[in-house]
Amino acid sequence: MPDKPSAIVVGAGFTGCALAYDLSQRGFAVTVLERGEIASGTSGRTHGLLHSGGRYCVNDRESAVECIQENLILRRIASQCIEYNGGFFVALNDEDLAYAPRFVEGAQACGIPVEQLSIAQALRLEPNLNSQVKAVYTVPDGAFDPLRLALAFAASARWLGAGFRPYHQVEQLLIDGHGNCAGVQVWDRSADKRCDLRADLVLNATGAWAGSILKGTRAEVVVTPTPGVMVAYDKRLINRAINRLIEPGDGDILIPQRRMVVIGTTSYETEDVDYIPVEADQVAQMYRDACALVPAVAQTRMRGAYMSARPLVGKGQAGRSLARTFKCFDHQESDGIAGLITITGGKATTCRAMAEAAADLACKKMGIQAACATAETPLRSYRDYYRAPGGAQ
Amino acid sequence: MSSERWHITLAVARYKQGADPHIQIFELEVDPDEYVLDAVERVWAFHDRGLVFRHACHHSTCGACGMRVNGQEKLTCITPIRAVCQKDGTLKIEPLRNFPVVSDLSVDMTSLYTRTESAAGAQVLNLKHSSLPFEKNLFPDDGLEHERLSDCIECGMCVSACPAALTDAAYAGPAALAAAHQTVVQKGLSALPAWVDSAEGVWRCHSGFECSAVCPSNVDPAWRIMELRRLVILNRVRCLFGLNKD
Amino acid sequence: MRNHPSPSRFPLWFDPRSRHPGTWAFILNRITALGLTLYLFLHLYMLSKLSQGPEAYDTFIALAKTPVIMVGELLVIAAGLIHGFNGIRIALTSFGIGTRRQTELFWLMMVLAGLGTLFFGYVMFFKD
Repeated sequence: MPDKPSAIVVGAGFTGCALAYDLSQRGFAVTVLERGEIASGTSGRTHGLLHSGGRYCVNDRESAVECIQENLILRRIASQCIEYNGGFFVALNDEDLAYAPRFVEGAQACGIPVEQLSIAQALRLEPNLNSQVKAVYTVPDGAFDPLRLALAFAASARWLGAGFRPYHQVEQLLIDGHGNCAGVQVWDRSADKRCDLRADLVLNATGAWAGSILKGTRAEVVVTPTPGVMVAYDKRLINRAINRLIEPGDGDILIPQRRMVVIGTTSYETEDVDYIPVEADQVAQMYRDACALVPAVAQTRMRGAYMSARPLVGKGQAGRSLARTFKCFDHQESDGIAGLITITGGKATTCRAMAEAAADLACKKMGIQAACATAETPLRSYRDYYRAPGGAQ
Repeated sequence: MSSERWHITLAVARYKQGADPHIQIFELEVDPDEYVLDAVERVWAFHDRGLVFRHACHHSTCGACGMRVNGQEKLTCITPIRAVCQKDGTLKIEPLRNFPVVSDLSVDMTSLYTRTESAAGAQVLNLKHSSLPFEKNLFPDDGLEHERLSDCIECGMCVSACPAALTDAAYAGPAALAAAHQTVVQKGLSALPAWVDSAEGVWRCHSGFECSAVCPSNVDPAWRIMELRRLVILNRVRCLFGLNKD
Repeated sequence: MRNHPSPSRFPLWFDPRSRHPGTWAFILNRITALGLTLYLFLHLYMLSKLSQGPEAYDTFIALAKTPVIMVGELLVIAAGLIHGFNGIRIALTSFGIGTRRQTELFWLMMVLAGLGTLFFGYVMFFKD
């Protein structure tokens, strides 16, 4: 029986964990290398909104369709960590109202079920919603726990034989004499040791760091780290996600999670994403935006404030004009380097689809015939990551 | 977040596999309204890329960033520096107790997750059963069914603070017992895991109450453990008299 | 493994730093238990003096009336009161009675133990 093809996945965020799962299912021997622990990068700090796609259905229909499809799939396979209570899109002023027809048309075109509620009805369902709201539409939003979603994919991958090595930082890619990628040079930060790891295929799933991982090689990927702030307040004032009915902008999503509400976000470009300080004026802006949607936020206390750097493919003006879809790069085609794939961009909601695309490409490159089966079976309990055969990391 | 800047000293517990543990000192300039986790992250970003620590969500939902700050268990992502330190002060940062240390500030959480899993602790609950029975009017009630992620974020701080868990590796621990209680609330007494009524289950607790004191997430494990004892005894009495109803 | 739970780590039980009243009660209960056990052995030793005849006994009683020993006895009484009242608190909370008020119950019990100690101190030192 031939050996399994080996793959190294760099990055254990949503994409990396989902990819490890998909590849393991299709017969690869997978090793995941992550410089932190599961979801230590952008993925951990996601707002946590399981998108219905309503946010993108006017200007970015490709993303919107991806979202609603993956929303339904994740509800099936990852219900263990999703608060599924639906969401509202609310118009606060006449400008928002003018956006409504385009929103409804876009939602219908993308297959997103929306329904208009009367203001009275909406306020009965969400008594803390701004009573001056002018229009309300329901959407099938949810809220998920970021770490546990990643762990659920990672658990499923581990139980199919994938190896996870947290605290292992990839320092550079190993390029052999033919200019192809043969593996990675790795720094095990927990033991302060370095070694080389070889594999048939290296998949760069580092999201906002996708460009920097490729430094020192011919390969290039233009990924613009685009941070935004998120603020959590200490009362769960709403049951459903509340979205502002406007073009995607700042501070237009308020989601409930556990006993909190979380408002997000802003958007600006930066070069260095390893440490992004929280800006006081952005926090103040988020507070105003949260109170505009739910005035009772003014009676809560701030519980936490943090920055998260989205990976946006390409370069644009402060990120809003860039598509939120994902991109898979075959570096053999783009840069003549065999054995290297980059998958980046996208959103948490579409992580499984991103993994499917990257795994499809991986199978094509390795000549393996195996279809994706990740959309059907519920994921293992996220705790099984720690109970995996072979013990902990 | 403010424009104030404090100089503080971080004394961080360091440990690499194969080497001796030691404390390393770092001098930092921080915004005092930032969180202790931000200070730790600064050490990693600007002083030592070898610093190993766990973190994910930065807003108290994932439970990854529990550490001991000046000896006390804290969820560092929601602990402002100002709350635990003064200008020119020192913060001692150590990993949680009672779990094996992987490296530096990161511990191996296997035992915790294994035990909460054996308590069949669901993360997503019916909103009505999701909080303590004596807590009223916490969430808006629109008459419909809603879901909510369980209060327990499996941070392990309760286990770290527990004196019984300090000396007994086989003790189920407050987190697992709290999860078992949550399971009983959700599914009834017949769902009580068998290990709860045992020497290493609910009877190993010696009323330190430190678990509830340090819990950052309204779980109140101590209350749940005592309530489990009441339910366990009720169950035993019922069994004795053959009234084996739920 | 570093940091691993083990019976040999029991000295850390007695470190009250960064701990809350529940742990102070825990520590006090253990210290008073050790103290009372030690006292029990001393008490048995004292009783054994009885078997050595009236002179040995009288010598011992003279020693027992010295201030140092009397303070020691008051400490034993205090320990007994603290341990007993806290024990009542533990008995109640262990079965879900007053668990949510365990901190207030601790302070109440300590006040009662303090009052009791003051009463016995008065009787021992100031009453004839």
